[in-house]
Amino acid sequence: MDTFLQQLVNGLTIGSMFALIALGYTMVYGVMKLINFAHGDLVAGSAFVGLFVFSQLLGGEVSLPVVIGVFLLTIVAISLLGFTVERLAYRPLRTAPRLSAVVSALGASMVIQNGIMLLWGPQMQIFPELIPSVIWEVGGVVISLMQVLIMALSTLLMVGLYFFVEKTKIGTAIRASAIDQDAARLMGINVNNIIVTIFLIGSSLGAVGGLFIGLYYRGITFNMGWQYGLYAFVAAIIGGIGNIPGAMLGGLLLGLFKAFIAGYVSSTWADAFTFILLIVILIVRPTGILGERVAEKV
Amino acid sequence: MASNDLVLTNVTKRFGGLVAVDDLSFTVQQGQIYGLIGPNGAGKTTVFNCITGIHPCEEGSVLWCGEEIRLLPTHKIVQMGIVRTFQTIRLFGQMSVAENVMSGRHIKSSQSWWNGIIHTPSSKRDETANWQVVFEMLDFFDLTEFAASTVSSLPYGIQRRVEMARAMAVEPKLLILDEPAAGLNDNETQTLIETIYRIRDKGITILLIEHDMDLVMEVTEYLTVINFGSKIAEGNPGEIQENPAVIEAYLGSEDDDF
Amino acid sequence: MMKKIQVIGYPLFFVVMALLPAVLDSRWLVVATTFVIFTIVALSQDVILGKAGMFNMGQALFFGLGAYTTAILNSVYGWPMLATLPVAIIIPALFGIVLAGPIIHLRGDYLLVVTIGFNIVFIQAVQNNLGGVTGGPNGIFGLEMLQIPGMGAFQEAAPYYAALFVLLLTLFIIRNLESSKAGRALHYLREDDLAAGSIGINTRVYKIFAFGVGAGIAGMAGTVFANQYSAVSPEAFNFLQSVLFFSIVIVGGSSVPGILLGVFVMFVLPEIFREFATWRYFIFGFAMIFTMILRPRGLWPAKFGRIPKAFLEKGGNHGQQ
Repeated sequence: MDTFLQQLVNGLTIGSMFALIALGYTMVYGVMKLINFAHGDLVAGSAFVGLFVFSQLLGGEVSLPVVIGVFLLTIVAISLLGFTVERLAYRPLRTAPRLSAVVSALGASMVIQNGIMLLWGPQMQIFPELIPSVIWEVGGVVISLMQVLIMALSTLLMVGLYFFVEKTKIGTAIRASAIDQDAARLMGINVNNIIVTIFLIGSSLGAVGGLFIGLYYRGITFNMGWQYGLYAFVAAIIGGIGNIPGAMLGGLLLGLFKAFIAGYVSSTWADAFTFILLIVILIVRPTGILGERVAEKV
Repeated sequence: MASNDLVLTNVTKRFGGLVAVDDLSFTVQQGQIYGLIGPNGAGKTTVFNCITGIHPCEEGSVLWCGEEIRLLPTHKIVQMGIVRTFQTIRLFGQMSVAENVMSGRHIKSSQSWWNGIIHTPSSKRDETANWQVVFEMLDFFDLTEFAASTVSSLPYGIQRRVEMARAMAVEPKLLILDEPAAGLNDNETQTLIETIYRIRDKGITILLIEHDMDLVMEVTEYLTVINFGSKIAEGNPGEIQENPAVIEAYLGSEDDDF
Repeated sequence: MMKKIQVIGYPLFFVVMALLPAVLDSRWLVVATTFVIFTIVALSQDVILGKAGMFNMGQALFFGLGAYTTAILNSVYGWPMLATLPVAIIIPALFGIVLAGPIIHLRGDYLLVVTIGFNIVFIQAVQNNLGGVTGGPNGIFGLEMLQIPGMGAFQEAAPYYAALFVLLLTLFIIRNLESSKAGRALHYLREDDLAAGSIGINTRVYKIFAFGVGAGIAGMAGTVFANQYSAVSPEAFNFLQSVLFFSIVIVGGSSVPGILLGVFVMFVLPEIFREFATWRYFIFGFAMIFTMILRPRGLWPAKFGRIPKAFLEKGGNHGQQ
């Protein structure tokens, strides 16, 4: 029972991070029908930028304003990078064959990943301890301040995003563009602006996810983007790609699944089990848990 | 009832809560040129999708040559001799006209899957024989000069012909044409009418959807009119033109095709 | 233009390739062998991705399965290297067929992620020393060296010639595929899945067929790979390799010359510019983006419009461009 509750806490923590990152994938996919492979590397880049901002720009002393400053500056930097990726690698390929856009996305991913390596080197870097390590023990379950913060902030962001997309005018335009870009354009929606918006939002959420990864795992490497990115993407697919609540649900489910595999089976098999879960889910529901089935128009 | 008929009985197809085809029955007899008409959105193409197995219907029965084909997959239905064309032309765009028509020879070819890895004398003979049929078919549709052209670079009217040639290459018993005259000019429509007669003269049954009423009234021998997924009339062209329910359906729908 | 390149180009290419060992030192011979092996894998990926149009990003799995089959049969059961080849074709091909079965109906990107998943499951299985025969993270080493009788002093080039022979075989298979019912069916279902079904093609069977053929060819490449290094290890087959093969096929344009070019750029150029090794993927990334923007169908796009000569001669050029 202790293991169960402990892994529940751990799973919800990593699940929140997956969910934040998955939102970036799912929003871009929803509108552009493109896997933004560079998203995972933006997440990794965020941890490195956060490290740089903290130690080089803000003096390396932990205090509340500094921590907030690290978050804000990193979010700005990463969303600008996301914006650049869209302009450079995706926008010119809007009308190109699907596969060309996929390869361009892979190229963008390689550029960012290896750009990080060229700037910071191939060795693992240690992310600063920005959150004081306060730990509570509740009935045999260890929970840290950091875990609480990660879960709380992620929830806040996700609820905010949900209301933004459901209740605001821009959110309606985003949903309209996701259903039918041409129809949205005819209704006077500037789809290019919508795409820029979702790249900015997605990258910002990814930036927060990247900082959380740095805070939680401490060790950060230039190529970790593929790993976390892939997990987040799997989460998005499990939930039903293109579906915002689906990404949140998928992220949490995947985090819990991974934690329980690590707790009860073995972490050396965690990746394999995760993908087996994905494959089983897709065989049963080819468009994910909350994804809609679409019949092809003939 | 002749055994080579297509018999639809009480066919119903739903998409979610929407009833696209409602309790529809009709019979296409062997050798007929049969028309299925109705205002836009009446569910005509959906009927075709039910017959060809693209969107199988939930209720009713589709009998072909005395066999129930309602739940068969598309490729099995094709093997039984029913081939269709599409309202929005669906060709293999990057490939040549000849290769497109060759696709129709797929089920007639005797090659096995492993002939894709290694050829045998008999697979080579089969290959040549099928290309021969393709060129006969190109000749039939007057497409020989475009044989090696990329399909997507050709004008609409020619693409329509390629799609019919592809369907005919399968040597169907029943050819289903979904708006074959859409987008054609008067000359091309005239050629189409002649082509339809020439196909019928080969002993092939034809079932078609068409909005060009002049064409429908000229070529078809028997018609079923549907609106909102259900049949409102059937009869020969003369009877249909007089039918008050049909006139109302068309006038009421602001559809000026009639 | 295309015709000329095919008629003169291929024999010339193989003559040059056959003579290469005479002028290369041992380091460059290894590079040349790697070039040939990766070309085979990229061509096998092209059967699934380029011809049949299925977003497979797990081709390194089949490559690895072939290599591990050879390595295990040789190290555990003492089979001679050459004798393992048929098994190293059949096992990956069977895996291709069995794995493809339940996922073949998935749409583009879903298939892509599932195939990445297969690749990752495979790597994790060999790293965890599944069945006690894969050697764990270090892999299997000390495999027997292929001996070709009568080669005398040229024995060093034996793996190279083995690879070259397999490449020749692969090109032969691909040529046969292109002029057969099965091969054309793959093109049809890539262009329009639904239309292909509507003229009687059992799309499911041919998609699985594409996976079987692609996996079998990749398995052959695996055998020659194990042979070249006398060893196999998991990281040579991880999914980043699959990403490279995927990119090579698309950047090359899904044609044989395009794929040769792609493999050359990805694997041989970095050997020439070794001092820029750390910049390798950074530059490739940009190259991939700009190639796709400037040539969305690849550097050397595959051409269609093949019609048997006998029919072409009858009347003009039939609109052939």
